[in-house]
Amino acid sequence: MSVVAHREVAAPGGLWSRLSLGQKQVIWAWGFLAVPLVFYVVIRFWPTFQAFYLSVTDWTITKPASFVGLENYKRLLADPLFWQVFRNTFMYLILGTPISLLISFVIAYYLDRVRFMHSFIRALYFLPFLTTAAAMAWVWRWFYQPVPIGVINDILSSFGIPQQPFLRSTTQALPAVLAPAVWAGLGFQIIIFLAGLRAIPVTYYEAARIDGLSEGAILRKITLPLLKPTLVFLVVFSSIGFLRIFDQVYNINTNDPGGPLNSTKPLVLMIYQTAFSSYEMGYAAAQTVVLFVILLVISLVQLRIMRDR
Amino acid sequence: MATIELDSLVKRYGQTTVVHGIDLAIQEGEFVVLVGPSGCGKSTTLRMIAGLEEISGGQILIDGRIVNELQPKDRNIAMVFQNYAIYPHVTVADNIAFGLYRSKLSKSEKRQRVEQAAETLGLSHLLERRPSALSGGQRQRVAIGRAMVRDPAAFLFDEPLSNLDAQLRTQMRIEIKRLHHRLGTTSVFVTHDQVEAMTMADRIVVMRDGRILQVGTPLDLYEKPVDVFTARFIGSPTMNLVPATLRDGRADLSSGGSVRVPPSSAKTPDILVGVRPQDLVPTQADSAGLTVSGPVAVVETLGSETLVHIETAGQTLIGSAPGRQIPQIGEHLTLHAPSERLYYFDKVTEKALAA
Repeated sequence: MSVVAHREVAAPGGLWSRLSLGQKQVIWAWGFLAVPLVFYVVIRFWPTFQAFYLSVTDWTITKPASFVGLENYKRLLADPLFWQVFRNTFMYLILGTPISLLISFVIAYYLDRVRFMHSFIRALYFLPFLTTAAAMAWVWRWFYQPVPIGVINDILSSFGIPQQPFLRSTTQALPAVLAPAVWAGLGFQIIIFLAGLRAIPVTYYEAARIDGLSEGAILRKITLPLLKPTLVFLVVFSSIGFLRIFDQVYNINTNDPGGPLNSTKPLVLMIYQTAFSSYEMGYAAAQTVVLFVILLVISLVQLRIMRDR
Repeated sequence: MATIELDSLVKRYGQTTVVHGIDLAIQEGEFVVLVGPSGCGKSTTLRMIAGLEEISGGQILIDGRIVNELQPKDRNIAMVFQNYAIYPHVTVADNIAFGLYRSKLSKSEKRQRVEQAAETLGLSHLLERRPSALSGGQRQRVAIGRAMVRDPAAFLFDEPLSNLDAQLRTQMRIEIKRLHHRLGTTSVFVTHDQVEAMTMADRIVVMRDGRILQVGTPLDLYEKPVDVFTARFIGSPTMNLVPATLRDGRADLSSGGSVRVPPSSAKTPDILVGVRPQDLVPTQADSAGLTVSGPVAVVETLGSETLVHIETAGQTLIGSAPGRQIPQIGEHLTLHAPSERLYYFDKVTEKALAA
């Protein structure tokens, strides 16, 4: 018996056949994972690490990079434009995230109860998400024009309200840029909220109705707490989106990106201009590192605050 | 405690009628089980009593008061759901306290009521836990706790045991039954499991296709099923039915032989003779009863008894032998049932033949 058994194991001989089933599965899995992994390392991670290195050099494309220590960071902290941009970026974040989440939640909450043309309405909301930012920015810029052309000013003037400068004002430009950005992201957030709402068993609501909870109490005590994972995801996701805002801003003011007196310029646009208008690659790299740190810290803080309890 | 009355209750979804005008009167403190295959309208009926489904016709009275248009919260009923419907984000104590949401009791009184309910259900040590830390049976007890803490007029159970494994189901069955004995609250229990219905009910309501087929005590239904459906639905394994032809007060069985049939109102000579497996046993035959014989096809050993499937005239009949007597497959066996244990049905209408 044992002789036969030995021969059977040894016969195929190859390395592959000697591996256990588990080992074979691992090899297959890594075989498939390897391609995207290599791609990611080469295309994403390697340049990322390069950026950290570049941020401590004075590379400007025309001359070779040389090490300058934290010079770029010092310059950044002393740059009034950086602080302006920093403020703008945070305005996008602290206005954009709550406003967009509130609007999309309200829409999703009521859309969830609508049976009539539910899919069609959902598709309508999702449509802006599919539209390119450039096209959208053009349409919104047209909205913001003065009276004979601009729709919004037309409506305002028909009610006897004075003309608003919108994109040409240092105070109104940022909200005016934010509006299409919020609008563009709504579809996605609504879909995610709808999925979250659908995942809550109907019997939870039925039990609550039998116990006599009002609509408001059901929302506060059941729906929102159970939506927390969805909410955490969307807060982090949309925060990252608003911190990285670029195309909406760039496209709505193509002749003057960043708005009057840089009033709409976000950090990413500053990086873009430093790198590809001024060609100060080292300085731009330092700015990307700062953006990276901000994104990382904010995401981690949000996850930490919202996950526990 | 309350009475519940259904008066030609109808439920329609668009063109489809799922409950066809049913009438039912539930006494104070009674434990009524609605039983039937899925889609028979039993859950819909329960949900109409709860107020979770609007009714399309007829009326519902709780304690003599028409509640057709009342919100669920105003009907003073409590419901236990199949998936428990206890909230994962709050503790057991808070879940039970949801049942007191509308009560005007002080905070400490509420707390006391919650603790009392937990005590009754053996949940005292789990009050501060989250539902995710509980077993299925414990979760179901929390759901029952939330229902009983309010002291409602009636308990409505919507297949509450279906998500539990077989052993827990048996245990919870007994717990609910004991709870009902202690509290005496009117209860309506929906299930598709005839064993649950038999073991728990004061009265069983058998439903099919949105209609009530029969209402009666478990023994009523077992002894005097009004039609073939109820006869086969109640009792396990299901009743054997042997086609037969009536002639001169005797029924000639398709499996051979004949039995004497009591005078009845049969309109056609084609009838079905029913016999429960528990009554069909290998004993000495007397001339009055039903005797069948054939080779043994399958033997199911249960310990307490042995189910024997025998083949006779192209039909498989199930009989039972004592626990330790296990026939061989292929062995020729003769089974006998006394005549008073036989059931007779019209083959066409499937109604029981009135004796």
